Amino acid sequence: MELIVSLVGVPCLAALLMLAVRCDKARNVLAVASVAAIGLLSVVFAVRYLGESPVYFVLPESTAGVLGIVNFLIEIAVGAFILAYAIRYKRMLALGLALVQLVMAVWIEVSVLAGHEFSTQMRVDQLSVIMALIIGIVGSGICVYALGYMKDFQEHHPEQKDRRPWFFALMFAFLAAMFNIVFSDNMAWIYTAWEVTTLCSFLLIGFTKTDEAINNAFRQIVMNMLGGVAFQVAIAFAALNGLPLVFSEFLMAGAMSAGTAAAALFAVPVVLLAFAGMTKAAQMPFHTWLLGAMVAPTPTSALLHSSTMVKAGVFLLIKLSPLFLVFPIASGMVVIVGGLTFLFCSFLAISQSNAKRVLAYSTIANLGLITACAGVGTPEAIWAAIFLVVFHAVAKSLLFLCVGTAEHHIGSRNIEDMDELFERMPRLARFMMLGIMTMFIAPFGMLVSKWATLVSFATTGQVLLLVLLAFGSAATFMFWGKWLGKLAGIAAHRESEEVTVNKTEWSAIILMAVLVVACCVGMPFISSAFVEPYLAGVYGMAPLAIGFDNMAIMAIIVAFIVVVLFGTLGKAKKKVVPVYMAGITVDSSKRVFKGALGGEREATSRNWYLEGIFGEKRLDKPATIVTAAVLVVCLVASIFAGGTLGSVSLPMYLQTASLNESVFSTLIGIVVFLVVGPVLGCLLAGLDRIISARMQGRVGPPLLQPYYDVRKLIAKDDVSVNTVEGTYITMALIFTLIAGGVFFGGGNFLMCVFLVTLSALFFILAAYSSRSPYAEIGADREILQVMSYEPMILFVAVGMLLTMGTFDVAGLFHGSAPMIVAAWPIFIGLLFVLTIKLRKSPFDLSYSHHAHQELVKGVTTEMSGRTLAKVEVMHWCENVLFMAWVAMFFVWSNPASIALAVVVAAAVYFLEIWIDNNFARVKWQSCLKWAWIVSLVAGLVNILGLVLYIIFA
Amino acid sequence: MSSVSKSPWVIHYDGSSCNGCDIEVLAALTPLYDVERFGIINTGNPKHADIFLVTGSVNEQNIDVVKEIYDQMVEPKVVVACGICACSAGIFHDCYNIIGGVDKAIPVDVYVPGCAVRPEAIIDGVVQGLGILEEKSKALAASKKKGE
Repeated sequence: MELIVSLVGVPCLAALLMLAVRCDKARNVLAVASVAAIGLLSVVFAVRYLGESPVYFVLPESTAGVLGIVNFLIEIAVGAFILAYAIRYKRMLALGLALVQLVMAVWIEVSVLAGHEFSTQMRVDQLSVIMALIIGIVGSGICVYALGYMKDFQEHHPEQKDRRPWFFALMFAFLAAMFNIVFSDNMAWIYTAWEVTTLCSFLLIGFTKTDEAINNAFRQIVMNMLGGVAFQVAIAFAALNGLPLVFSEFLMAGAMSAGTAAAALFAVPVVLLAFAGMTKAAQMPFHTWLLGAMVAPTPTSALLHSSTMVKAGVFLLIKLSPLFLVFPIASGMVVIVGGLTFLFCSFLAISQSNAKRVLAYSTIANLGLITACAGVGTPEAIWAAIFLVVFHAVAKSLLFLCVGTAEHHIGSRNIEDMDELFERMPRLARFMMLGIMTMFIAPFGMLVSKWATLVSFATTGQVLLLVLLAFGSAATFMFWGKWLGKLAGIAAHRESEEVTVNKTEWSAIILMAVLVVACCVGMPFISSAFVEPYLAGVYGMAPLAIGFDNMAIMAIIVAFIVVVLFGTLGKAKKKVVPVYMAGITVDSSKRVFKGALGGEREATSRNWYLEGIFGEKRLDKPATIVTAAVLVVCLVASIFAGGTLGSVSLPMYLQTASLNESVFSTLIGIVVFLVVGPVLGCLLAGLDRIISARMQGRVGPPLLQPYYDVRKLIAKDDVSVNTVEGTYITMALIFTLIAGGVFFGGGNFLMCVFLVTLSALFFILAAYSSRSPYAEIGADREILQVMSYEPMILFVAVGMLLTMGTFDVAGLFHGSAPMIVAAWPIFIGLLFVLTIKLRKSPFDLSYSHHAHQELVKGVTTEMSGRTLAKVEVMHWCENVLFMAWVAMFFVWSNPASIALAVVVAAAVYFLEIWIDNNFARVKWQSCLKWAWIVSLVAGLVNILGLVLYIIFA
Repeated sequence: MSSVSKSPWVIHYDGSSCNGCDIEVLAALTPLYDVERFGIINTGNPKHADIFLVTGSVNEQNIDVVKEIYDQMVEPKVVVACGICACSAGIFHDCYNIIGGVDKAIPVDVYVPGCAVRPEAIIDGVVQGLGILEEKSKALAASKKKGE
């Protein structure tokens, strides 16, 4: 108990001190001291309660009474504060809501709750421990960062009064409120802390007092007060109907009420609390407040608007999640709105060039995913949700801090201006790259969590969510990938601009980076120490969506990438040559060349924003309308008929069989693939060229021509446009080999898919790093291609689970019938996107293996010699792997089926060559459009059919 | 024959040719002659190419371009001058705006005369170039060994 008191008390005290201290130095010392205390306390707290079952804290009645009054006073103060601001700035809506809230608060305290006895006040379980660690460590890290950042901020805005004491007081007060939310078991107290965080956020958004800031602050307060009022109504309703007001009891009683008359009573507060959580988590249609909140100083965005405060919203939803199994309408609301938010915000992020706005959209999108997981409510989904919370908190704060520092040094938060950051701010760029990779690519945490999400959606037959997840994830690849590419560009040996970065900023950024790596590598440990005990406590079981060995493999790969990124990358000794400019190069580093007409020109390139497809103008309104409609319909339905549906167990709940996922079998697979992949791939490539030649009425090269080509390339002189390109390509090759190893070792198909994507990312990065105009265009197109085919590949994995009951390739040999029998629409979809994946005409946009050579040679423009040889070998291996994906549809327990599978794969390969030689290249728009239409139709129809079959048969 | 000569990738540049020789270079790349039988591929990118086919002579306008393409090709590399203009500037030899054959800009390894040069002659020139490519490749390997 003392620990909890001090965790809440220390930040409160620090907040008061911050208000009192005006001197910079004293403030720095005090802030660092309090931050260290908070961080240390949270760690001690975590160690103390590690692995314990929930602990309840009962306060003596007198203390509880006093605290209750204090709480009420804080509530009134918060209301009065908002009221005063609303009057001062003449905001009627905010004024009205504040009045409603005040009246409600008084009514609840004086009449509804009068004489109500709470049996416990505080409760600690493993989820609160995780949240406390996030708040304590990430929160304090950001406060340290803010010391340096706000000093720069004040220098950049000399016209503003120095209001730093106020700023830091708010940050610390916020931390105290957050601790309160995660520890309180008394709903009235949770609500008070909830409102305090809203107020802190409001004041920090309006910190600069510009018109924009004030407007956005009021948008935030109005939307969050809607949630606040819903929270109050929930409390009042529960109290008036005799439902428990201790949150843990409420949850338990609610879960038990299934099928009884009490269910109708519980339905109302449950859906209202869910609504409150969703406003806080900025789910559509309330996403605009979080976008507006980006005007606040960057530490605020990092702390409140990505890593903690918005997490309070999903924290509440995760707590409620066992109830969503009982109340299907509330669950539907959360699931549909969360899923749509994930999809739309991922799309919208593509169209943004302002780094903070991209981060904001991605935050909303990820909160949407967490929300959807909470709504599904199975232990697997909650496992994924908790990990999404953890990884998002650490990775996003790292990114916000990096963007904040970059902004102060390059004078812009536009991604376009971060061109060449890899050289201008070498350390910062690497940290930013680490943060970005953690957000969207396996083996890093966010994607592993998303993987678990996919598994949990697939096992419960959430067809809509699967579709939303598949397309949303594809968009995620696009907007992170192109940002990463911008950072990776290297042109000339420019001076490092980062010597002036504050020490406090560095220490915070390094802390976040260490946290990111520690969480990624320590994922199996976090799972067994925190998450599984929590799930066991809530559900009585803790099934894993991802096997331990797979997590271990991912952890090893993370460690490898981190070592390369911060160790060897850029240290290779190479003969460096200028990039190809298709003219006379005047200045390679500035990309200036003499064109055909004589004059000097500069080649420029911007990222793709696809405004016409994913722009705000196009998507924002429909998305808002759809989500708002879902919200209203579900709210109304739930209030009037929420309980009547009563106990609905999940329509389907598959158990995934884990058959062959050991590290050992993967290693054997890698060894096998190391031989089979290149040899078979080389023969396939030779065959491809001969067959193509025959189709063109000529003889063609010898069968081993690809082998001769690679031998020659290896013998060429070793030159490169920069010192990193070769390293990226080597990594791409290694990941392809591991992907093949996972597949041929009989391991998890999804992991194989993710590793192929990882390999594609490094291939793309190599092209971007050259900063050659042609390679960049190739890389842009390659990203688009990945985005085009990715959804279909995920559908293949889902189809595999629904037909064979496992994601493991080894499981195919246990089936009584091959996948093709029930998953032929998905097979057709796979054939369609295979053309994109093999880069064959009509979808050979990024580059082509044959003599078509638009835009010189796309992605590989700057690659030569050994690097190009590695690319060739990588493609051989990829071809073998993709053909194996095709063959996998035709395998079952009969050993002869392997022969059939090989024959089919050969036929498909021939078909692809035929398509390649008979269709003209299309534009990227058609590639994206058709790939997505085919994926949507084939995937949706097939998965829906399979799910219905499983439910009814 | 080592792997180098089994996989000669060419790049074609038109200096100031009348397009007669260009057409013949392209003709050599058509299915009729099917140079891919010898592993020859036309790349559009100097960084991937081993053999540089130049048609037409060198003038003030294009000398820097010819030099740049040559410089950007990765060692070992061979230059084949296709047609009489590329060899010696041909009938344009004394023109006020002509510098001369390709060898005025970059070292040429094989001269293939003709006006216009016949596809068979081009292929023959490339095959002769392969021998030189082989030698250069050996020299490069030797110097690499020394360097180590």
